[in-house]
Amino acid sequence: MRISFLLACANLRRSKGQTSTIIILILLAACMLNLWLILSMDYKQNFDRYHDKLNAEHVTLVVDGASTEMREFLIQTLESDERTTDFSLDDSMQTMGLFPYNNGELNSNLVILEKQTAVSRSVGRVEIVEDSAFTSGIYMPILYKSEDIAIGNTVKITIGNNEMSYIVCGFFNSIMGGSHNCGMCELVLTEDNYKALAEMGYAPKSLLCSVRITDKSQSEDYETMLKNIISSRYPSARKSSNSYTIVAQARYISQMICSGIISAMAFLILLIALIVIASNIANYIQENMKNLGVLKAIGYTNRQLTGALILQFSGSCLIAAMAGVGISYSLFPFVNTMMGSQTGIPYQIRFLPLPMLDTLVIAWTAVAVVVWFSCRRIRNAEPIVALRQGVQTHNFKRNHFPLEETNAPLSLALAVKTTLSGMKYTITVCITMLMLSLVIVFSGLMVENVITDVTPFLNLVVGETADSCVNVNGAIEKNFLDSLNTNEQVEEIYLYNTLAVSHTEGLELIAIICDDFSKITNQSIVFQGRFPKYDNEIAIGAKYAREQGLKPGSEITITASGKEASYIITGLTQMSNNLGRDCLLTRSGYERMGELQNASYYINVVEEVDIDTFHAEITEQFGDNINSTISILSVMNGFTAVYISLITIIVMAIFVLSALVIVFVLYLLVRTMLNNKKRDYGILKALGFTTRQLILQTALSLMPAIILSTIVGLIVNSLVINPLTALFLSSIGIVKCTFTVPVGFIAIAGIGLILFAFITACLLSLRIRKIAPKVLLAGE
Amino acid sequence: MKETLIKTEKLSKSFSNGGVMQHVLKNIDLQLYKGDFTVIMGASGAGKSTLLYTLSGMDTPSLGTITYGGRAISDLSPDELAIFRRSACGFVFQQIYLIDGMSVMDNILSAGFLVSRDKKALIRHARELCKAVDISEETQKKFPSQISGGEAQRAGIVRALINSPEILFADEPTGALNSKTGLDVLDTLTKFNEQGQSVVMVTHDMRSARRGNRILYLKDGVILGECDLGKYVHGHRARHEKLSAFLTEMGW
Repeated sequence: MRISFLLACANLRRSKGQTSTIIILILLAACMLNLWLILSMDYKQNFDRYHDKLNAEHVTLVVDGASTEMREFLIQTLESDERTTDFSLDDSMQTMGLFPYNNGELNSNLVILEKQTAVSRSVGRVEIVEDSAFTSGIYMPILYKSEDIAIGNTVKITIGNNEMSYIVCGFFNSIMGGSHNCGMCELVLTEDNYKALAEMGYAPKSLLCSVRITDKSQSEDYETMLKNIISSRYPSARKSSNSYTIVAQARYISQMICSGIISAMAFLILLIALIVIASNIANYIQENMKNLGVLKAIGYTNRQLTGALILQFSGSCLIAAMAGVGISYSLFPFVNTMMGSQTGIPYQIRFLPLPMLDTLVIAWTAVAVVVWFSCRRIRNAEPIVALRQGVQTHNFKRNHFPLEETNAPLSLALAVKTTLSGMKYTITVCITMLMLSLVIVFSGLMVENVITDVTPFLNLVVGETADSCVNVNGAIEKNFLDSLNTNEQVEEIYLYNTLAVSHTEGLELIAIICDDFSKITNQSIVFQGRFPKYDNEIAIGAKYAREQGLKPGSEITITASGKEASYIITGLTQMSNNLGRDCLLTRSGYERMGELQNASYYINVVEEVDIDTFHAEITEQFGDNINSTISILSVMNGFTAVYISLITIIVMAIFVLSALVIVFVLYLLVRTMLNNKKRDYGILKALGFTTRQLILQTALSLMPAIILSTIVGLIVNSLVINPLTALFLSSIGIVKCTFTVPVGFIAIAGIGLILFAFITACLLSLRIRKIAPKVLLAGE
Repeated sequence: MKETLIKTEKLSKSFSNGGVMQHVLKNIDLQLYKGDFTVIMGASGAGKSTLLYTLSGMDTPSLGTITYGGRAISDLSPDELAIFRRSACGFVFQQIYLIDGMSVMDNILSAGFLVSRDKKALIRHARELCKAVDISEETQKKFPSQISGGEAQRAGIVRALINSPEILFADEPTGALNSKTGLDVLDTLTKFNEQGQSVVMVTHDMRSARRGNRILYLKDGVILGECDLGKYVHGHRARHEKLSAFLTEMGW
């Protein structure tokens, strides 16, 4: 061990530059590995910690009507189920509503609570995290805290169709209702405001039921059961609900996307670092074969020689990985802020030994294994062969690129010869560029389909979008349609109503009800099979179908309004906003179970029509029969701003990391090449080659591998990026991804990557200036 | 009257060794003539190789000037020196220094393509030179690790001559070779010199030195003496005795 340690120290002294580069690559990989492990092992568990801290519910149900009879029925139902461990039942108000969010609007099912009730509930209480001296106003979920929504500011909230103004008194944290991703959004009013709103009757009174159960994994089943029972007894009562399983996923979508991308980048960089280490060891063995032969000849064992290299690389790796873990903690506040803007649940940063240990073990083991395998040439070499620097007595090397047979310019011809003779460099460059072309294509996909135009992303996540969504009382639906069909401002109007239904043998599904699915803009919602046309047809979410073993042609029984009906599955859909739990029904299909009390219509208006003015006009025309009007674009702006900023940061980070990886890998290769070929460069300079020619020749020798692997990588990755993205997003219900692959962007980024690599290689080769022909005298 | 190829005035070269200046060449005034086979001799550490590499533009002097064809090369930039070397000089090294990754022919052509634009003429010239030094076509295709030391050094000479340089610098060209192959190399150099090629050779071997017509003896960085041996004639005893006497006089 002592001998191995001394050899390792000697090796480190001689290869400070290469060791530093490998250390930086391992440091970057370890930094991202640790970030990923914190995000996946602890960050998401923060949800459970807060869930326990606030004694939050596993199932939430809000049902319109607050009669004593309904309350008693609910209590009886909950108490009769042996899975129930505890519950709270409190008065609330429930309505669709809007408020400003991220330069847009947030449209959600608002559940309004009185402050004292909200903070004192035994199950599902809210935690006031920021308070003030204001005694009359509103408390908002901490997620929505912004420059506009700040303590002391006035926030305008549209409740039903009425705009209310409240002073922001503070912010709260609620696990099951603190975000629009929960399916409902809680707002807390001070007692005076709550009473005033209740008296105005803008929002129906409702019961908020929060239930804790014995096994949280059954929360979805429990939710479905509860809704079915309530629907049977109160078929016309409006209900909204959520469950632990769905909320825990929905509030952490961006965490899932971010940790997925970070883990992919971490493993890519680790892989590149390992390839660089393998290449470095191969060069070390080549360069030091004679010395190794001497050491073998005087009695050093293979274990001692290999042990020295393992000690050298794994020791450096361990130090680098520890530094990387340290850096990850300095970056984490930034990631935390980014994530917090989507989860809305505060995360307390603290040191986590387990992710650190995992990071160290992964990095160390990977490096040690690669070093062990890379050392096999030492183990296989006989001392006498090693003493001859690996040159066999008889060798049959062939000249694959004779200068006399080429018409290429001299620098290019010599560069090609260097490329052909340095396969280790070529393989390292190829793998690096293949990896980087994958991240370039992914970045291109995100730039094209999220950052510059978010529509494809919205189509995938949300399904259908339009300019406006108007919910009307079913009683005036015909008049409304007649009027809008003749309205010159309206380009297109179609029924697009969302309701909760239940799969009798499964879970609750969000049903989208449409008169004619051929009218909807996004015809790619159904990606396999077709849209339902007749009243006995249904299309269901692909993720849910896979979980339940259903496929097109299968029969499925759905319950709504206390009635059951069977449907044949005609197609599979993908939309992530319901995490893959959705279905499409024709209106006639839905009416086999119940009538639509209210109907939501999607409207596209002609250009230059102001959507707010349009909403005001129809609200004036139809009065209280218009339940709500939503400017979908404004709502989407609010939703998408979070994702766009998240993806923008990720893409920028990817570009910076790619540039760093190129610089480090090329630095290592060029430096190794210059060290190994110092004598050749001296000879060539003596013969009359200028420094510029040799720099060009060195950079060009890397270019065939760079250009070829980048082109192949970009083409192959462009072909597989959509299936890969779909695989990546499969947990949120995406099965097939049809994002546009931006050929122009990818081509320009590819050219940029190649040019960047060429310029970097030229700059790194400037060390050739220091090689003087007189180095040839050094041997004397 | 001989034509001067290279002229030095007060040529000095110093190195710093651990903060202590070592003066390897001291105020050397020298002229090298066209067609001469100049041999630089001296004991180890006398500054022979330093003088050779400074004269050939591989190293720059600390003080003084070197003029080639009326142009001061001591003031040239590294790249200008490289262009000077490729067109005016050829080099034969003791360690041969063929590039391992290239075949013999590629080693020769890599130097040739630096100057010549006429590919066909260059290849023809390379083949003629190879034939002249007895390098077979088969050997031309081999790599340095696949040929003998003598073949490698002859290939080195061809590479040095491929651009028809005004002057061929040879640094101990037989130092790494056995007696027989060393003799072959000397015969080759002599043959080219007889055809008009100017040669400057550093050696500490009497047998090699006899091939020169002008012997310079270097000691402690200064040219201590010079001997004119006249045209080389194989087996000429008087030449040998004259050289022996000169070297004895110099303290050899």
